[in-house]
Amino acid sequence: MNHVEEKNNMTTAPAQRVHVAVVKNLIKTYGGKGFQTRVLKGIDLDICRNDFIAVMGPSGSGKTTLLNILSTIDKPTQGTVILDGQDITRVSNRELSRLRRDKIGFVFQDYNLLDTMTLQDNIALPLSLSGVSGKECVEKVRKLASLLGIEEHLKKYPYQLSGGQRQRGATCRALVTEPEIIFADEPTGALDSKSGRELLECFKMVNDRGQATILMVTHDPFCASYAKDVYILSDGKILCRLSRGGDRKEFYDRIIDVQTSMGGDFLCQ
Amino acid sequence: MRKLAWINFKYGFKQYLSLVISLAFTVLVLFNFQNLICSGAFEILGTRNREYVEMIINMITFVLVCFMFFFIWYSTDVFLTRRKKEIGIYVFMGLSNEKIGKLYFLETVFTGLWALFLGLFFGALSSGLFQMILLAISDLTVEIHFRPGLKPVFVTAGIYGAVYLIFAVKGYVNLVRSSVLGMISAAKQNEYVRQSKAILFIKSAAGTAVLGSGYYLAVKRDQGGAMGNALAAVALVTAGVYLLFGGLIPLIFQTAAGNKRFLYKNQRILWVNSLIFRMKKNYRTYAMVSILLLCSVTALATSFAMRGRYDSIIRFENTYTFQLLSPWQELDEQAAAVIGDGNDIVVRSRIPLLCVDPSYVNTKYPDSRYTILSWSDLKELARETGMEFPIAPLGDDQIVKISHLYLMSLITDKSGITVAIGGRTYSQVEDISIPYMGYLQENMNFYVVNDEEYRRLRSFGEELYACSYRIGDPGNFMETRDRLDRFVAGLEDGHTARVAIDPESNELDWVKVMYSVCIFMFLVFVLASGSIMFMKLYNDAFEEKGRCQVMLKMGFDRGTLKKAMKAELAVAYGLPFAVMGISSFFSVGALARMMFTDLTGVNLVSVAAVLGILVLWYGLSLQACEKNAGL
Repeated sequence: MNHVEEKNNMTTAPAQRVHVAVVKNLIKTYGGKGFQTRVLKGIDLDICRNDFIAVMGPSGSGKTTLLNILSTIDKPTQGTVILDGQDITRVSNRELSRLRRDKIGFVFQDYNLLDTMTLQDNIALPLSLSGVSGKECVEKVRKLASLLGIEEHLKKYPYQLSGGQRQRGATCRALVTEPEIIFADEPTGALDSKSGRELLECFKMVNDRGQATILMVTHDPFCASYAKDVYILSDGKILCRLSRGGDRKEFYDRIIDVQTSMGGDFLCQ
Repeated sequence: MRKLAWINFKYGFKQYLSLVISLAFTVLVLFNFQNLICSGAFEILGTRNREYVEMIINMITFVLVCFMFFFIWYSTDVFLTRRKKEIGIYVFMGLSNEKIGKLYFLETVFTGLWALFLGLFFGALSSGLFQMILLAISDLTVEIHFRPGLKPVFVTAGIYGAVYLIFAVKGYVNLVRSSVLGMISAAKQNEYVRQSKAILFIKSAAGTAVLGSGYYLAVKRDQGGAMGNALAAVALVTAGVYLLFGGLIPLIFQTAAGNKRFLYKNQRILWVNSLIFRMKKNYRTYAMVSILLLCSVTALATSFAMRGRYDSIIRFENTYTFQLLSPWQELDEQAAAVIGDGNDIVVRSRIPLLCVDPSYVNTKYPDSRYTILSWSDLKELARETGMEFPIAPLGDDQIVKISHLYLMSLITDKSGITVAIGGRTYSQVEDISIPYMGYLQENMNFYVVNDEEYRRLRSFGEELYACSYRIGDPGNFMETRDRLDRFVAGLEDGHTARVAIDPESNELDWVKVMYSVCIFMFLVFVLASGSIMFMKLYNDAFEEKGRCQVMLKMGFDRGTLKKAMKAELAVAYGLPFAVMGISSFFSVGALARMMFTDLTGVNLVSVAAVLGILVLWYGLSLQACEKNAGL
């Protein structure tokens, strides 16, 4: 393990933590002979139930590649990723699709809600296509929408909603199947600061209530300060891990400090 | 500007291809019909037949020009919406609306010219084949000319050019008047989506009423106003179908989507929502395709019915080869001896008939010939000739009309007709077309009364005998006719009339041409509706690509998305087909009423033929859409 751990104000870990994903010596190389670029250089990472992890890093540090591999969209060159007890590097594409559908929730930067259907149908989509009964779909959607404060917008189409409402809708969609883990790729990237904050509060709330394990890629320290742990990636390696402890503001300051100490590219993000 | 337009056209050729092909197809069809008139292929049929055929082809040309008008309107409209966004970007490069309009106009003209060239080129290549197929289906032996003349080229180019220019100019005006925002967001226009239920209710109610009125008029029986009813029915059904797709069908889908227990089953959440999403944009296409399919199925049913009726008329007219009308009963034996010399007489009948002076008949047609038959005599004739006799014994004031077979009649209501003869008014209880009197039924009005009335009416006319014979070998017709003419000329009375029906006569050959032209029209309409639907779905599938990628990323397997696409396409083809199927019951029903026959079988076969072709289009569309959507 290459990363340095800062454990100031770290909360006491639960006696027995259940692993959701285990990453060992993850390497990803792009390009052919003579033009090879190693984007990930041996990442080790344990994600346990109810974790809320933010991955930060400068441009080209491998954040998105890591997220794509963890979410089974991309395959590693070397190493293992155990998700739901299966090594995703060894299972068929069909099984990967099943894993993505049943065990993983996605929140994309540009929401990716389907403009052909209402917010309610967008949220119900994964359940509906998994064969869950209509009644159960409706109940689950209502419950989650109410939790995230978008119940009154359920009948609207995405184009009738603000960015924040859309992203909360996308979060509901990610949560509705009760996945093992939610991967969020720059979820506040397209939002104004108020909407971004509201969304992060939602993330924090569902995580605090034990409803979601979240891995979020972001370049925004403020956004990252909502996580319990922040991993800072640099040049394909985990440079350090910061744990929040209690106060979010203090955690934010620490993230800024690390960013400042790293300087260069990172600050330019 | 011209160079830029040409470059755009050259590099966007793939995009233009579907438009060019569909336009070229309409040019090809029009050219072939024009060429048919100018080729002189029908000279051999004789002046009367040729005039009939030319009249039919001119009518078809009119229908084709109407079709071309709407087809060009539709395709250029779709094209304009697609191009608007792309060429709208030129606004940011400082081009004025007029210049952008001019650019579009030039691109459209290039497309139009290409289509015209391809249409004429392939039209000229296929003209011989077209004539050959048409004449082969018509069962006509005519020398085929493979060299198309210049006249059809100019006529086709003139008609097409005029129609095309209207829409190219319309596109130009549209762009000149467009706002910048309108151009940039053109691709997204009309897509949103869920429409107000109140408006949909109003449209549904209006659509149901209009369509219902159209259907009613189509099948309403009328004593002479059938043509007016038919035209009104066409207008009402067309409007009704548009309102149906603009109102009732979206309303049904929106209501279904509101029922989540229904929606969240199988892949309905995807395809039902997708259909609703596009309904506002696509309902005109569905309506247009429904109407084209209805035209197609009606053309095919007309074709089958015409063929059937042609055969029946030929059989009807050839019930007897020779017929004599004479005041002398004994003539029958003598004539039979003359005709039977070297011939087998396979059918022979004799019946007394009463030629009533038209002045004793209260009629609108004083120049027609009115002839009365007695019920018993006709029953005896039916027994002799082996024909059916469904006429029940008649009351004193009842009369039955014996008609000939019409190709079509605009008098579809034959109830409540009264006929006044010799001071008594008879109510017509039936109008039947069994060839008891053979060819004579073509030229005379025959009525049957009971025997007592027949005796009473004798004082109002002259009693003659109709002696009819059919010979076994049609090859002996000419020789026998000459012999019979000599025999009739030798009679001293001068009151005997002879009718000879040539079994080889081509008097009705124009009906056979109509039969094959109708088949061709069927193909034109069904191919046009299929291609319109294909173009629409092909374009829509591009929009699906992004959505499909998101869903694949989220873990939905391709199979699920393909199933949703299959269902959506099946509904897209199925809705116009269903509307066509229901409407065809009325359109073919109207045809059946005008032909006084039952066309249910013909209707079903025609609908099945359309279904077969649509299934092929569906398969093609599915493949193309899956590819475009990245599945």
